[in-house]
Amino acid sequence: MSTTTVKKPVRTGKYTWNGAMITRTVASYGVALLMFFPIFFMILTSFKTELQAIAVPSLWIFEPTLENYTEVQERSDYFSFAWNSVVTSVGSTILGLMIATPAAYSMAFNPTKQTKNILMWMLSTKMMPAVGALIPIYLLCQKLGLLDNVFALIIIFTLMNLPIMVWMLYTNFKEIPSEILEASRMDGATLWEEFRYVLLPLAMGGLASTGLLCLVLSWNEAFWVLNLTSANAGTLASLVASYSSPEGLFWSKLSAVSVLAIAPIVIFGWFSQKQLVQGLTFGAVK
Amino acid sequence: MAFLKLQNVDKYYGKLHAIKGVNLEIENGEFIVFVGPSGCGKSTLLRMIAGLEVINGGELILDGKDITTTPSAQRDLAMVFQSYALYPHMTVEDNMSFALRLAKVDPAEIQEKVEKAAEKLDLTAYLKRTPKMLSGGQRQRVAIGRAIVRSPKVFLFDEPLSNLDAALRGQTRVEIAELHRELGATTVYVTHDQVEAMTLADRVVVLRDGIIEQVGTPLDLYDHPKNRFVSQFIGMPQMNLLPADFLPAVAEGSAEVGIRPEHMKAVGAEGAALSGVVELVESLGNETLIHMKIAGKHQIIVRQYVRTELKIGDTVGVEFDASRVHRFDSEGLAL
Ligand SMILES: Nc1ncnc2c1ncn2[C@@H]1O[C@H](COP(=O)(O)OP(=O)(O)O)[C@@H](O)[C@H]1O
Ligand SMILES: [Mg+2]
Repeated sequence: MSTTTVKKPVRTGKYTWNGAMITRTVASYGVALLMFFPIFFMILTSFKTELQAIAVPSLWIFEPTLENYTEVQERSDYFSFAWNSVVTSVGSTILGLMIATPAAYSMAFNPTKQTKNILMWMLSTKMMPAVGALIPIYLLCQKLGLLDNVFALIIIFTLMNLPIMVWMLYTNFKEIPSEILEASRMDGATLWEEFRYVLLPLAMGGLASTGLLCLVLSWNEAFWVLNLTSANAGTLASLVASYSSPEGLFWSKLSAVSVLAIAPIVIFGWFSQKQLVQGLTFGAVK
Repeated sequence: MAFLKLQNVDKYYGKLHAIKGVNLEIENGEFIVFVGPSGCGKSTLLRMIAGLEVINGGELILDGKDITTTPSAQRDLAMVFQSYALYPHMTVEDNMSFALRLAKVDPAEIQEKVEKAAEKLDLTAYLKRTPKMLSGGQRQRVAIGRAIVRSPKVFLFDEPLSNLDAALRGQTRVEIAELHRELGATTVYVTHDQVEAMTLADRVVVLRDGIIEQVGTPLDLYDHPKNRFVSQFIGMPQMNLLPADFLPAVAEGSAEVGIRPEHMKAVGAEGAALSGVVELVESLGNETLIHMKIAGKHQIIVRQYVRTELKIGDTVGVEFDASRVHRFDSEGLAL
C-alpha cells in the first residue's frame, strides 16, 4: 500500500485556496499594480505644481492643486476636442459593426475554401506599420478636401479596426451552431428576422465587446489624428500632443490634459469591463 | 400525383458527387424513412428537400409546385434536427410559437396551438423554462413540438433519436409513430438505425453513396432485397452469404446465395447440406445465435428460438429452407 499525504486546502469563505492559487493571485495583483503605476503617477502629477512635478526625489505628499486643470481649460477648448473624440470613435464603431457583422456572418456560416485565407490576409494588413500608408492616405485626403475632417477620421478608424472586428465577430459567430439559424429559416424567418430574433440575441455579448474594443482603439488613436487633423477635427489625442511641444515640457499640465483625455474612456471601460474581457479572450472563457 | 417528387436531383460538394440523380415520389400522408450507412447522403438529401442545401440538378416538386429554388422559409416544411437546434435564448413556449409569431398568426390562436401541442408532448409544466433547464428527452419533445404547432406540409426528421439513451429512444420512437398516426402528416425521416426504419416507415428508401438502392415497404425490403447491399443492410444479424458452389442444389446459376439466419437450422453433421465449426454461441434467452465458419473461411450465423448444447469447436451441420433462399449474380443483383 502506498501512503500519500494530501495537503488539506485552506478554506476561507466560499473559496478553497491552495498554494498555486495564492501564488497566482499575488502575481496577478503584482502585475496589475505595476501596469497601473504610471497611470497613478500621472494622476498624482496632475495635481502638483510644475515645480513639485520636477522635484527629485518625487514628492508623495503635497498639497494638491487644481490649477493645471483650470489652465488647460483656459488655454484650449477641451470640450471641442472631446466632442471630436466621441463623434469619431462612436461613428467608426457603428460603421465598423455595420460592415463587419455581415462579413463575419457570411464567413462563419457560409465558409468557402478561401475563408481562412481571407481572414489571415485581413489580419496581415495590421502587420504593416501605419506610417507605410501615410503618404497615399494623406494625398488622398488632400485631393478630396478631407484634411482636418471628422468624416475622414471616421472612415480611417473604421478601416483600421475592421480586421480585428471581423476576426472577433467571426470567432464569436463560430460558436453559434448553424443549425439554430437553419431552424429559424425552416420556421419561416427572413434573413432580417433570422438576424434580429436569433443571431443578434445569441451574439449580443460578442457584438458588444467588439464594439467596445473598437471604441477604445479609436478613442486612443493618435497617429492618424496627428497627421491628418489640426484645430478642426482634432481629437483628445491631439490635445494631449499639443501640450508636449512648443514651449518645452510642462509635466503637470501634460498630466492634467492626459487625465482629461483618458478619463471618459477609462470610466466607460470600467463599467463595460466584463464584455471587454469576454471579447478579448476570443470566447476562450465561457 | 405524388405530393413530394424528387426528379433526378443532384448534389455536388466541390468534386464530390454526393447525391447522384435521385428519383423519388412520396404520397400525401406517407411516412418515408431514408436509411443507409453513415456518409451515404441521407442528411444531404433531406436538407435539399428542406432548402438548406442548394440543389445542383433536377427538380423538387411539392404539392404540384416546383420548389427547387424556393428558400427554406417559403417551403412550409418543418424540420427536427439531430441536435434539436432549439433557440437557447427563448422559453419552451417561445420556441414552439416562433414560427407562428413570424407568420403573424393571431395570439389567441397561437396560445391555443402551443398549449395543445405541449399537452400532447407532456411539456405543459415546462413552457416557461429555457432549453438549458430541460433534459435531453424534453428538449427532443420541444423540437417536435416546434414542428407540429405549425401544421406544415411535410415533417423532416434528421436522426432525431440518436442523442437519446436506448430506453428513451424506444419510447420516443413509439411516440413518433403515434403522432404520425394522429396527424397523418407527410413525413421524411432519416436514420441509420434499421429498427427505426422498419418500425416507423410506410416505405423505406435505402441509400448508398448518393444512390437509391431500393424503395419498398419494410417487409418488402426484408423479404425481397433487390441486391446484395440491401440484403446485408436490412436484417440483424445480417443475411448469410455463401459462394454458389457451396450450395449447387439451390444456386441456379447465381454467383452467391443468401439465407437469413432464422431460415437456417443447426443439425447433426451427418449428411447435412452444409457443415461448419462453431465459433461462438450467443444465448440471448429468447433466441440463440450460433456463429460458425464454413470451410474455414465463410462466417455464417444461425438463429434459433430453442437453446443449444453446442460448444465452441463443435462440428455441426446446417439445414435451410430452400424456399427462402436469395440468389445474387456476380454484380450483386438479386435473381
Ligand atoms: N457541407 C459539406 N461539405 C462537403 N462535403 C459534405 C458536406 N456535407 C456532407 N458532405 C459529404 O457528403 C456525403 C454525404 O453526407 P451526409 O448527407 O451527411 O451523410 P449521412 O447523413 O448519410 O451520414 C459525405 O461524404 C459527406 O462527407
Ligand atoms: Mg447525417
